[in-house]
Amino acid sequence: MVGRSLREIIWARLRRDRVAMICLVILIAYYTIGILGPVVASLAGISPYTLHPDLISDMGGKPIAAYGGISPAHPLGVEWGTGRDIAAQLLFGLRISLVISTAATFLTVVLGVVIGIVAGYSRGLTDNLLGRLMDLILAFPFLLIVLSLSGVLTQRLTELGVPEGNASRILYLVLVMSFFGWPYLARIVRGQVLSLREREFVEASVAMGAGRRRILFTEILPNLWAPILVYATLTLPNYIGLEAALSFLGVGVLPPDVTFGSMLANSVTYFNVVPTYLFIPGTALVILVVSFNLLGDSLRDALDPKGVH
Amino acid sequence: MVAYTVRRLILMVALLFALTAAVFFLFTLLPGDPARLTCAKACSPAIIEANRHRLGYDQPVLVQYGQFLGGIFFGRTFSSDSPQPIVCNAPCLGYSYTRHQQVLTLILNAAPVTFWLAVGAFLVWISISIVLGIFAALNHGHWPDRLVMGISLVGYSMPSFFIGLILIFFVVLRWNWLPFPSYVSPFDNPLRFLQTMILPWIVLAFLNTAFYMRLTRNQVLETFHEDYVRTARAKGLPERTVVVKHALRAGLTPLVTAAGMDLAALLGGAVITESIFSLPGIGSLAVNSVLQSDLPLITGITLFSSTLIIFANLVVDLLYAFLDPRVTIA
Amino acid sequence: MGGSTTRWSRIASLGAAVALVVGACGGSAATSAPSASTATGASTAPSAAAASTAPSAAAATPGPKSGGTVYLLTQAQQFDQIDPQRAYTGEDMAFFQATIYRSLEAYVISPDNNAASKLTPDLATDLGTPSNDAKTWTFTLRDGVTFQDGSPITCADIKYGVSRTFATDVITGGPTYAIQYLDIPTNKDGSSQYPGPYKATAAQQALFDKAVTCSADNKTITFNLNQSRSDFNYTVTLGFSPVPKAADTGENYGVAKPPVASGPYEVQSYQTGNGGKMILVRNPNWNQASDPYRHPYPDQWEVDFGLDPQVMDQRMIQSTGNDQTALMYGGLQPQDLATVFTDPSTPQAQYAGRVVNGYDPYARYIWINVKKVPNQKIREAMAVALDRASYRKIAGGEFVGDLGDGVIKPNLGMDYAPTNMWTTMFGQAIPDGGDPNFAKQLISQSGVAAPTLTFNYADTPTYGKIAASVQSSLQAAGFTVNLAPIPPGNYYSTVFDPKKAGDFGIAGWGADWPNASTVIPPLFTMNGGFDLSQVDDSTFNAAVNAANAETDRATQAKDWQALNTQAMQNVWAIPTLFGKASLIMGSGLGTGTGPNGGLYIWGPYGSNPYGDVYVK
Repeated sequence: MVGRSLREIIWARLRRDRVAMICLVILIAYYTIGILGPVVASLAGISPYTLHPDLISDMGGKPIAAYGGISPAHPLGVEWGTGRDIAAQLLFGLRISLVISTAATFLTVVLGVVIGIVAGYSRGLTDNLLGRLMDLILAFPFLLIVLSLSGVLTQRLTELGVPEGNASRILYLVLVMSFFGWPYLARIVRGQVLSLREREFVEASVAMGAGRRRILFTEILPNLWAPILVYATLTLPNYIGLEAALSFLGVGVLPPDVTFGSMLANSVTYFNVVPTYLFIPGTALVILVVSFNLLGDSLRDALDPKGVH
Repeated sequence: MVAYTVRRLILMVALLFALTAAVFFLFTLLPGDPARLTCAKACSPAIIEANRHRLGYDQPVLVQYGQFLGGIFFGRTFSSDSPQPIVCNAPCLGYSYTRHQQVLTLILNAAPVTFWLAVGAFLVWISISIVLGIFAALNHGHWPDRLVMGISLVGYSMPSFFIGLILIFFVVLRWNWLPFPSYVSPFDNPLRFLQTMILPWIVLAFLNTAFYMRLTRNQVLETFHEDYVRTARAKGLPERTVVVKHALRAGLTPLVTAAGMDLAALLGGAVITESIFSLPGIGSLAVNSVLQSDLPLITGITLFSSTLIIFANLVVDLLYAFLDPRVTIA
Repeated sequence: MGGSTTRWSRIASLGAAVALVVGACGGSAATSAPSASTATGASTAPSAAAASTAPSAAAATPGPKSGGTVYLLTQAQQFDQIDPQRAYTGEDMAFFQATIYRSLEAYVISPDNNAASKLTPDLATDLGTPSNDAKTWTFTLRDGVTFQDGSPITCADIKYGVSRTFATDVITGGPTYAIQYLDIPTNKDGSSQYPGPYKATAAQQALFDKAVTCSADNKTITFNLNQSRSDFNYTVTLGFSPVPKAADTGENYGVAKPPVASGPYEVQSYQTGNGGKMILVRNPNWNQASDPYRHPYPDQWEVDFGLDPQVMDQRMIQSTGNDQTALMYGGLQPQDLATVFTDPSTPQAQYAGRVVNGYDPYARYIWINVKKVPNQKIREAMAVALDRASYRKIAGGEFVGDLGDGVIKPNLGMDYAPTNMWTTMFGQAIPDGGDPNFAKQLISQSGVAAPTLTFNYADTPTYGKIAASVQSSLQAAGFTVNLAPIPPGNYYSTVFDPKKAGDFGIAGWGADWPNASTVIPPLFTMNGGFDLSQVDDSTFNAAVNAANAETDRATQAKDWQALNTQAMQNVWAIPTLFGKASLIMGSGLGTGTGPNGGLYIWGPYGSNPYGDVYVK
């Protein structure tokens, strides 16, 4: 039997996992829609920014048509008060939600891996200091800090040259999520590095006089990709949920732009009267997050050398 | 062991110190002029200045920090010009001019609510997790395992406020099974207490069950492969004895440590759950303090919550070292 | 015509309200007619409009009876202030004056705004006696008026209460008319030479003792003013209540211990925060003989703090159990209006008498910082471009207000006159939805390029949507608008900071008593206290001073009308809504003077009629 590379083995395992494949398809669909959202919306003739006062009653701003103003032109209804199209908001909101969570995950992974490797490899004082820094960060009541500092830090970002408005708000979210997120991954990576550095191939490199950086990033890093990939797959959906939670608490993008989170936060006021406001973005969000989590799960199983399948 | 404990204690104190500094300086960045908040119309610059002085915001940040630390250890006095100055005894976390109350008093008033919320939810999710986790492990690889794991994953994937709102929508608004949440002490009205707390407990349990169930399941599965369990089985001990006495007990250590940390974090305030259900706990106190820009209160709660976490960290570490001799304490 | 008086809400608390109530514009309306007297429905009230002869009003109706507990549901964590010298939120003042505090004068209890805007004696025997060209005012106390411990309320207690206002570093956030009007010398920076009772030297105390004097029998109080104030007896409804010196604890008066009551109820317990309660029980030492103004029907009041606004709405609408005798602090949320109203002036049948829509105290507007946007034509273009129709629709439609044309609201009565801002002021009629093309013309006439503007608003979902609509309607005219939301609790403290304020933003203001002297000067003069537009125009200031000094009320009203129009011509502000609120009460409550015993908005404070409700 011809020896297969690890990558091939894992892919083969995943291929056999029907749930994982379905999730993968769903995720690809979500990302495609996210990227093409504006195109889809304009083809459908809807825009998340156009006000439709004609569709709104004077009774407190309630959409005139039933179920939140559902009509052929606005298949998922329109927003309370403004008459903006919900379907279009969903398309555009998905895009921003994905941008935020993907960017935050990427940054988290970069920070976590780099700091984890450095801590694990250096040991001694550096390791100790980094360890205490992680303790400190993990001890902060994350939500409270994010909430109270959002205004001032967004403003700082603007002063640093980030465009005003949503650019700085999105960047703020990405930064705080990664800032409070990296220590978890760094701990995992550190542990892996600690065991890896005792292995023969690393010792061999050291004996051959390889530079420290070279050892870290060419010998050790490639052996870490499996846990990192799993971690990233499971972190991303976390961040999607976190963005929603932060929006709920009032830290999010500015209207007229929306995210899944801000749509849900918005629905809170009206869901007793118009439940679709809650259930439409809620369902879209849960499907996305569940797909990610299931895929991450399958990935972990596939990567598990003790895998029983 | 003693040396280790002492070292961890010293480390904890250092960490707390770093934390107070970080919190204090971070929050001095906050926008708005706290002195402007104190007077209404005809707010002349002179009045604003006088209030800035009265509140101590005219001092350099370092001095303010010193006063704050001093308050924690020795207590301090606010509004010394008032006919009855406000004496805040150590440990003084500050005085909220917005609410005219001491920060510590406010936190201690809110603490019981958060305590009941956290402990109740904890009991719910731990018991469910252990039972279902073992159930899944025993049926490892079969459909009950997959079903349980699948459901837990869906629950874990729902943002907590989404679950909370759905529960309120159906259980309270549509079906009228429960009255509107309104907190009462369990000692005053146990029934009303349960009616109010059951939904928040479910929401928090939903969030955490998935993780603990998995942990239990995997621990049990792993210990099944350990020699002493195999031995026990080989000796012909009943399966229940094997599971409960051997597999579970050995697998509990990581469960306990994880639970300790999560419980501590919850005790520091379940911001979202408390907000949704209007529970007057530390989490909603925190959100309100942010909305009201009540700087002393924000600072106080942040410190309170993080101290809990750091303290739990210490306890868990010590417990872990104590329980599991494999941990090197050198 | 008369008008209801309104109050402004203390800025900090307005901010907080914005924070929590989803959409501070939330509220509703009973009529779209900009006439105050129809706003609360036809008045069937017995004419207590005979103003100053107070006693009759409620007693005439057969319905009311004593007993029961009235619950007051509120989202607030606590009262902003219970201290009589510091309470400055309309709803709070209305509640306190009906329950625990008495003042020298009070407003008539009536659903009719004209009647209710008149004063009636409370602690005083009459409406006060002006002399010396209204620079001296004298009030005589009734016989038999007491605090809750039975000790008599004397001139000295009122005098001491007033003196507390001067301790601006301890007694913060309250009305400061005493400082502005009493004849006490000032320092160079404009502050009073009298620093309040807590740290005054004998010489400083003497300054105050000269301005406020008591008769030998301690029953007559005389105020010496630094200016002619023909409406000073209205002023004394704000912060001129008695406080016994022995009970004063300064900073935390009324918080650490319950405040000393002079009204028909006393505070039995007070616990703040979510789930907190304040319980008021009858004050045994209050007697009807010394207080013909009040009719305290319920035996007890319970204020429930920290409730979710949506939950409150649902509880009020369902009205079961204790909620049958509940009132709600503040209005219904926009999303619940369709449940209880057919249209703003008509409740659905089953809610008849329980809900009402009418003017709240506020005129809402968008301030424009004239230092940052100095070009008149540019400001005109902003006003012309603004889509006011969308603004109102997003805020909640007809229920939340009429489209405004100035900062003086029609419920101010004679001081209001149409400014014609949207009809002829700028040479052509401006549609409610804005006129981007005309705005473009104005920009081209301005001689400058359309600027980039920063828009401030409190960061709530509803204001967010409004901001987006403001942004898009101005951008249609060629402006670039950046949105700069501010955490709600910080809103006013931020926009008052010149370094942090943007170019324009949202605000609201209500008068302190039915005279635009509590509107125009605060909003558009530098020392007025609420000059968000940063206006400092010497001609305008002179005209304001002249109007303030005018003793003929009709002439003065014309002056305010002209100044209101002038401010709009200069576009120092863009008026948006004359705000309305939708109130609701439990099915087990009635009012003594309301139409068919139903709920009405009490004009003076734009509040629930606390002094008039009873348990059926």
